[in-house]
Amino acid sequence: MSTGSALASNKRGIRELGAEEMVGWDEVQQGVVLPSFEGDAAGIVNMHAEERNYADFNSYTATVASWRVIKPVYNRDICIDCQNCWVWCPDTSIISRDKQMLGIDYDHCKGCGVCVEVCPTNPKSLLMFNEAEENDEALAGWPQKEKKAK
Amino acid sequence: MAKEFELNEVEVWDGNYAASQALRQAQIDVVAAYPITPSTPIVEGYGAYVANGYVDGEFVMVESEHAAMSGCVGAAAAGGRVATATSSQGFALMSEVLYQASGMRLPIVLTVVNRALASPLNVRGDHSDMYMGRDSGWIQIDAFDAQEAYDLPLCAFRIGENHAVRLPVMVHQDGFTTSHKAQNVYPLKDAIAYKFVGDFVPVDEMLDFTRPVTHGAQTEEDWHYEHKAKQHKALMDSPAVIDEVFADFKELTGREYKRVESYMMEDAEVALVLLGSSVHTAVLAAKQLREEEGIKVGVVAPRCFRPFPYDLIRDALDKPSLKAVCCMDKSSPGGAMGALFNEVSAAAYSTNARPMMTNYIYGLGGRDFSVDEAKRIMKEQKAHADAGHITTNIQQFSGLRGPKLGFYEIRRS
Amino acid sequence: MAITSIKNLKEFSTNNDRFEGAHLLCPGCAHSMIVRELMNCTDDNLVIASNTGCLEVSTAVYPYTSWDTSWIHIGFENAATAVTGAEAMYKARKKKGTLKDPDAPVKFVAFGGDGSTYDIGFQWLSGAVERGHDFTYVCLDNENYANTGGQRSSATPIGAHTSTAQAGSASYGKKQKKKDLVAIMAAHGAPYVAQLAPNKWKSMAKGFQKALETEGPCFINTVSACTTEWKFDPKDTIHLTDLATDSLMFPVYEIIDGHELNILYRPKNVIKVEDYLGAQGRYRHLFKPENKHVIERIQKDIDENWAMLQRREEARI
Repeated sequence: MSTGSALASNKRGIRELGAEEMVGWDEVQQGVVLPSFEGDAAGIVNMHAEERNYADFNSYTATVASWRVIKPVYNRDICIDCQNCWVWCPDTSIISRDKQMLGIDYDHCKGCGVCVEVCPTNPKSLLMFNEAEENDEALAGWPQKEKKAK
Repeated sequence: MAKEFELNEVEVWDGNYAASQALRQAQIDVVAAYPITPSTPIVEGYGAYVANGYVDGEFVMVESEHAAMSGCVGAAAAGGRVATATSSQGFALMSEVLYQASGMRLPIVLTVVNRALASPLNVRGDHSDMYMGRDSGWIQIDAFDAQEAYDLPLCAFRIGENHAVRLPVMVHQDGFTTSHKAQNVYPLKDAIAYKFVGDFVPVDEMLDFTRPVTHGAQTEEDWHYEHKAKQHKALMDSPAVIDEVFADFKELTGREYKRVESYMMEDAEVALVLLGSSVHTAVLAAKQLREEEGIKVGVVAPRCFRPFPYDLIRDALDKPSLKAVCCMDKSSPGGAMGALFNEVSAAAYSTNARPMMTNYIYGLGGRDFSVDEAKRIMKEQKAHADAGHITTNIQQFSGLRGPKLGFYEIRRS
Repeated sequence: MAITSIKNLKEFSTNNDRFEGAHLLCPGCAHSMIVRELMNCTDDNLVIASNTGCLEVSTAVYPYTSWDTSWIHIGFENAATAVTGAEAMYKARKKKGTLKDPDAPVKFVAFGGDGSTYDIGFQWLSGAVERGHDFTYVCLDNENYANTGGQRSSATPIGAHTSTAQAGSASYGKKQKKKDLVAIMAAHGAPYVAQLAPNKWKSMAKGFQKALETEGPCFINTVSACTTEWKFDPKDTIHLTDLATDSLMFPVYEIIDGHELNILYRPKNVIKVEDYLGAQGRYRHLFKPENKHVIERIQKDIDENWAMLQRREEARI
């Protein structure tokens, strides 16, 4: 489902929810306990998502892309890296690294459109498009700066 | 370090104090508790140990029994030894969390001082609360006297915390008849008791930050059934560990516990099956009847109420001499035969002896159960045996004022 | 405590999220904005408990968890007790030396919706705060039982339509005022209590950091705009929250040690509550002529509350 956005780790969004293997009673987790990572995870707060060793139980490995009917498209040329979209994204789907906005995690974005609403640039650096539309086409037809009504 | 508590070789303790000493010796990390009659003295006793430096762990006095068990679950998931105590209405209030504790596979020890359930309100001992817990997924072990109320919590930690089990354990004792009756108790020295219980070894602990874990996830129709089956399997497999712990305890103390206690069953023609402090009453009555009237009476007492010991009940009842068995339930049955009757009958059906099975409700709300009444019931079983069929209703009421009350009759002749 | 920099959003955005995507919260849900922000406020280890509710049923559905930290759910009412039980275990094990890493800093946090905080879990919250455990309780207040389809809670404001306090030809919706839980928690003597809003991200982050840093029980009520039950477009969550704070329907303030009240956000232009109510489907019926009096009542309550908060701030009581 990933549309090749920046920094996808090899486990991000690898499964649709519900598509996981339905193991028998003898193989389910004792006490319904779910570990979030494989191996020693003591340092994960200092690691970017793509550096972490997520367990298959971590929802990071699942995708909700199919929920989306419209999607945000990101225009790097206009963005001022204000990080409004990052702080208010309810789906941890704005990929920011070193104070720079890099793109959208399309495996986890549900297409709510909050990022577009909170984008302060003129024209906006994020706009909603039909899910089926190609990002390149969307960028090619990006609107021009709007004059503010006085 | 907690101070050592100087103990005599033999102490005169009631069941509550005996249980509180066992909890102290287990060096519990967190006790989250709320007082309720008749288990309050367990909590008070523990509080006194805390106040005087005999406990290193945390003692959290919460605002309800629901919170007591909730605190225990949170503490247990954080990877340490946890216990609490309750009775009756408190047990009922925490019942939601009892199911959650077992489903989350957290080895908490709950000392239950059995008491009737309202309404009408009653503080005396019967088994309504114990029976209420029977589908909760906990191991339930029953102490019949103060010595056992001391011994069995020590065993309970070992059983529940065993990694092959990982289930919470209730240790029951009867309200007042055991909890408030002073008896001779032979305690272990602190170091010996703790060595028997052993260090707690955590599983999936929330305080291991190298391995963050999610406890209490939701499961719907795709997963819930598998988890409940796995949990049931753990409970059904636990007797192997229970038997092993009881064997180790016998080696240490000479005191022997079995999942089913049998008395004089080798040649018994009739038998009583019952639980709790009444077992001693029944055994005394059986001995007297054997001497006085030559009636061959035996007594069977499930020490382990959950997992129900179908195997050992079957073995205890599978005697060619055995003709009639009466199961005695100290809990208002709520529109059915008593639970013990139903379960013991199921086990008896798989014997060759297939004795006649009857049910008495008795002792509700602390109504006394005397040796004479036990003898009367035993003689009634002998009458069934002699007649070759059950001569009364299947379910009757012992020690009840008013017109005779009975339900259900046999069709088999 | 290892607090993270919230000097500006750019600095803040360098934090690595510990709340993962592909949870099942509705598109545009404010819950996850608030939870993410709290988790990004600190680098410390977190032990988090959640009551049953939207957050819980959306973030830990077997076989997935969205939590990169230790997390526990027991029931609808007892997250405060679950997390304080864990806190007690932490203290006991630290004393006994049985922790795997005794020096690892850790914070204990509980999340609940308004249903589990104002209503069914109120006693558990009150007990945990009274006992003085070192934890922070965050209520995600969307003013209804959203997880079960939008029933009234004691946090539902007067006049709102819910499925169990419906607006109809003989009813203007809920008849009772919202419970003032912030005042109640302050009255417990909790060292830090606040009401915060995610649109004011910086004051929210500061409040979270204060709560996490403060030893003892802290309580924070957060406005969590609910696109599904308040009935507005998911893209407008932050806009709607702006209307909530700018109309003073949700004033943003803190109370330290039960008496030192500080208003954390003063709108430059206070808007009429009509503008806030009119942006949501749950208040649509209030704009009928026969229900106008309810809007007037709500505005009057807001004005009085704002005056009271300002007086308390000034008087330090």
